[in-house]
Amino acid sequence: MGRGDIVKDTTLEVFNTKDAKVWNPKPHVSKDHVMIPTTDPGADLWTEFDRSIGHHFNLSIDLNSCTGCGACVIACHAENNVPVVGKSEVRRSRDMHWLRIDRYYSSQDSFIDDVEKKDNIAGLGSSLSEFGELENPAANPQVVFQPVMCQHCNHASCETVCPVAATSHGRQGQNQMAYNRCVGTRYCANNCAYKVRRFNWFLYNDNDEFDFNMNNDLGKMVLNPDVVVRSRGVMEKCSMCIQTTQAVILKAKREGRPVKKDEFNDTCACSNACESGAMRFGDINDHDSEIFKLKNDKRSYHLLEHIGTEPNVVYQVKVRNTKEI
Amino acid sequence: MGSHYEAPIRTPLVTGNKSYHDVSVDVARPVEGRANKHWWIVFSISLAAFLWGVGCIIYTISTGIGTWGLNKTIGWSWDITNFVWWVGIGHAGTLISAVLLLFRQKWRMGINRSAEAMTIFAVVQAGLFPLIHMGRPWLGYWVLPIPNQFGSLWVNFNSPLLWDVFAISTYLSVSLVFWWTGLLPDFAMLRDRAVKPFQKKIYALVSFGWSGRAKDWQRFEEVSLVLAGLATPLVLSVHTIVSFDFATSIIPGWHTTIFPPYFVAGAVFSGFAMVNTLLIIMRKVCNFEDYITMQHIELMNLVIMITGSIVGVAYITELFMAWYSGVEYEQYAFLNRATGPYAWAYWSMMTCNVFSPQFMWIKKLRRSIIFSFIISIVVNIGMWFERFVIIVTSLHRDYLPSSWTMFSPTFVDIGIFIGTIGFFFVLFLLYARTFPVIAQAEVKSILKSSGDKYKKTSESHE
Amino acid sequence: MSSHKVVHAFYTDDDVLMDAVKTVKKAHYHIEEVFTPFPVHGLDKAMGLPHTRLAITAFLYGLVGLTVATVMMNFIMIQDWPQDIGGKPSFSYIENMPSFVPIMFELTVFFAAHLMVITFYMRSRLWPFKKAENPDVRTTDDHFLMEIPAGDDVDALQTLLKDTGAVEINITEKH
Repeated sequence: MGRGDIVKDTTLEVFNTKDAKVWNPKPHVSKDHVMIPTTDPGADLWTEFDRSIGHHFNLSIDLNSCTGCGACVIACHAENNVPVVGKSEVRRSRDMHWLRIDRYYSSQDSFIDDVEKKDNIAGLGSSLSEFGELENPAANPQVVFQPVMCQHCNHASCETVCPVAATSHGRQGQNQMAYNRCVGTRYCANNCAYKVRRFNWFLYNDNDEFDFNMNNDLGKMVLNPDVVVRSRGVMEKCSMCIQTTQAVILKAKREGRPVKKDEFNDTCACSNACESGAMRFGDINDHDSEIFKLKNDKRSYHLLEHIGTEPNVVYQVKVRNTKEI
Repeated sequence: MGSHYEAPIRTPLVTGNKSYHDVSVDVARPVEGRANKHWWIVFSISLAAFLWGVGCIIYTISTGIGTWGLNKTIGWSWDITNFVWWVGIGHAGTLISAVLLLFRQKWRMGINRSAEAMTIFAVVQAGLFPLIHMGRPWLGYWVLPIPNQFGSLWVNFNSPLLWDVFAISTYLSVSLVFWWTGLLPDFAMLRDRAVKPFQKKIYALVSFGWSGRAKDWQRFEEVSLVLAGLATPLVLSVHTIVSFDFATSIIPGWHTTIFPPYFVAGAVFSGFAMVNTLLIIMRKVCNFEDYITMQHIELMNLVIMITGSIVGVAYITELFMAWYSGVEYEQYAFLNRATGPYAWAYWSMMTCNVFSPQFMWIKKLRRSIIFSFIISIVVNIGMWFERFVIIVTSLHRDYLPSSWTMFSPTFVDIGIFIGTIGFFFVLFLLYARTFPVIAQAEVKSILKSSGDKYKKTSESHE
Repeated sequence: MSSHKVVHAFYTDDDVLMDAVKTVKKAHYHIEEVFTPFPVHGLDKAMGLPHTRLAITAFLYGLVGLTVATVMMNFIMIQDWPQDIGGKPSFSYIENMPSFVPIMFELTVFFAAHLMVITFYMRSRLWPFKKAENPDVRTTDDHFLMEIPAGDDVDALQTLLKDTGAVEINITEKH
């Protein structure tokens, strides 16, 4: 629990010598006094949907190869017509990044020291002050970063709470956001544990208050015609570039053939832009695909797995080439 | 003598030696007379606040929810705080009308009419927020399961917000019907007294031709009892469903099964406080001290004290569960509430809700009008902070620290809230001068058992 | 043709009224109607009025509401357009029923309350623009009025009523 739910890292030595259960422990819950993994079907209250037929998309992010360059963010913005909101709105925490790169700084010299300090907090006095101290970064901190976008949870907490059914789960595993149905109650954003959903607080196009690329004819030529431009009052988020995956499927249909192995690899804008190969996308129902191997890798884990949202985005444990973390 | 015997040691619920005719005259007086200067002053202030709120709402709908202080992490704040606050306040009226009827508590009769009016007006305010907080409120009707040309595309019955739509609609309409049915005999009294032709016409219209036949009274009593029996679980279910907006979510601080009883107790708590606020003023202004007696005020203070204590126990239970569960996220949620950047809101809530009602243990204080009035205001402030703390502190720091941020309201957030307060008082002030604010037919029915005139005569017979 | 005459007896105390009603009934007169400013406990029984069945209708309407809710949600969520929302099972009503309970409850109460009240208004003939039918305006203030058809021996009736404590007795035409 805690830090290990979010960014998992380990050293090369531990990785090479110890079992995956040590450096990549999976969260467990107790059922009938037996500990079972949270992803076990026995932990569910209800029957699952069968996703073994057709395509089932997953995205893998390797924290090892990710350099935090941000190319994926730019690519996602460009591909999906994500609006520019300006400095003052970003300062008010209203950025529109569908994909963001979270950075965490240690407040002591390293993360291990942070964990030690937190575990040693006991009693009222230290609770009152030391948690607050952990919020401040050190002068020379250890840094870790992590790209986060919509996790496309199979048990999405956001889908359940939309009163007008504007967001539901596709057969291919994506969480689908129907912009034209959204009335903007923002309950889905509140219920997202990963806080990946973005709301259109104002009209960001054809609006002089936001005089960026969507307010003039030349700037509008930058927009991707395959993707809708959203209006005010509507929720938006990562769609796993459904427009490009659909294009691949339709192309195959037109050519009268099944989709080729690894043909989905470059459909997601982020995975396409990733130079270091940290982000890989594909169909896990294709057991020969790269993504299938990545999902079942011993380094793979899900963000906040203990909640039980069963995401379709999988991360790979960061292995540092050091003696100590 | 006869069927009206009540033990002489029970405090009379109607003082001032009132006869049946006195009751009619007293209740009709504010309606038949003209409004005085004080009424006009308070009405003007309320109207101004209401119009300012209307302006803020128009600004929001035309420009966007961005005019509020919300952001990507904190999607709800003053909007839903106000919604829950108003709904909670509304529940006291139904409780007084329905639950106290089922328990045969005669003291409800002097206050239930105004308490129910408060319910209606409070739920009207509450009902504004689900509509105006939407990003696209002009499409608000999409929450209704109506066949359409999109497929038909239906609504999502899994969503607590949708349960709210049905719950609040049922609650508002059933409260309205319960209130109006009870009003019919009292409107009839005003109709039969009216001399001015316009008044006569209006009260004839709204009394639905009530004639006071024995069979009609029989049905009236039966309908009141059944509506009370339906309204009681309705009150409990409506605020439970409102609490489900939070309880069914996964956010630490929201995801807890204690919310249904916690919210219901809190609703009764804040509602009775608002009833006290309104009635303490009204009894003075309309000279109704003989109908809304010290006994009434004291009993309401006792309810406030008990429900305040229940709310306090709920707070402590939450803290206990956070510790006992061992779940770090839950523990941090509460640590953050008490010691984080919004600690000032948390401690305001604790002071106003847990500590202040405990003063009501002291008989002298709960029989003091001034103190009761002050506590009633303090409780409502505290209950507003409770909803604010639940919503904002849970959202602003949840699972991923990368999303942690702060919230501050804009003038629009504040303006809309003040506007609803203004609207509420506009409605209540208009009601006070046009409606019979005391259930005079019901009060007449208890005059012989609980009126002090009859108690004295029955005493002299002993 | 002449409309028949009725005797109106006024009372100012509800216990006196109750005794009067009992006396009049014992003397085998038919009480046309009694108008009171507030409900008098036991009056309906003394007058021999049958019990009201409104509570039973409320129960039946509640069942209607429950049925409407169930059929509606089953059609909408399970039959017509079942969706994968949060992984929640849309395969059968029972599997997803916990979600449906709040609305099943609310619609039960909604139908029970509103249809019962409408039934009440219809049966007691109450609606906007309906004219009031109490013969004397004091019956909503502090007087109780017993209306008895005059019959043959009006004087005997009048004497009887005076003995029961009526403060005023009028003989009028009933329209």
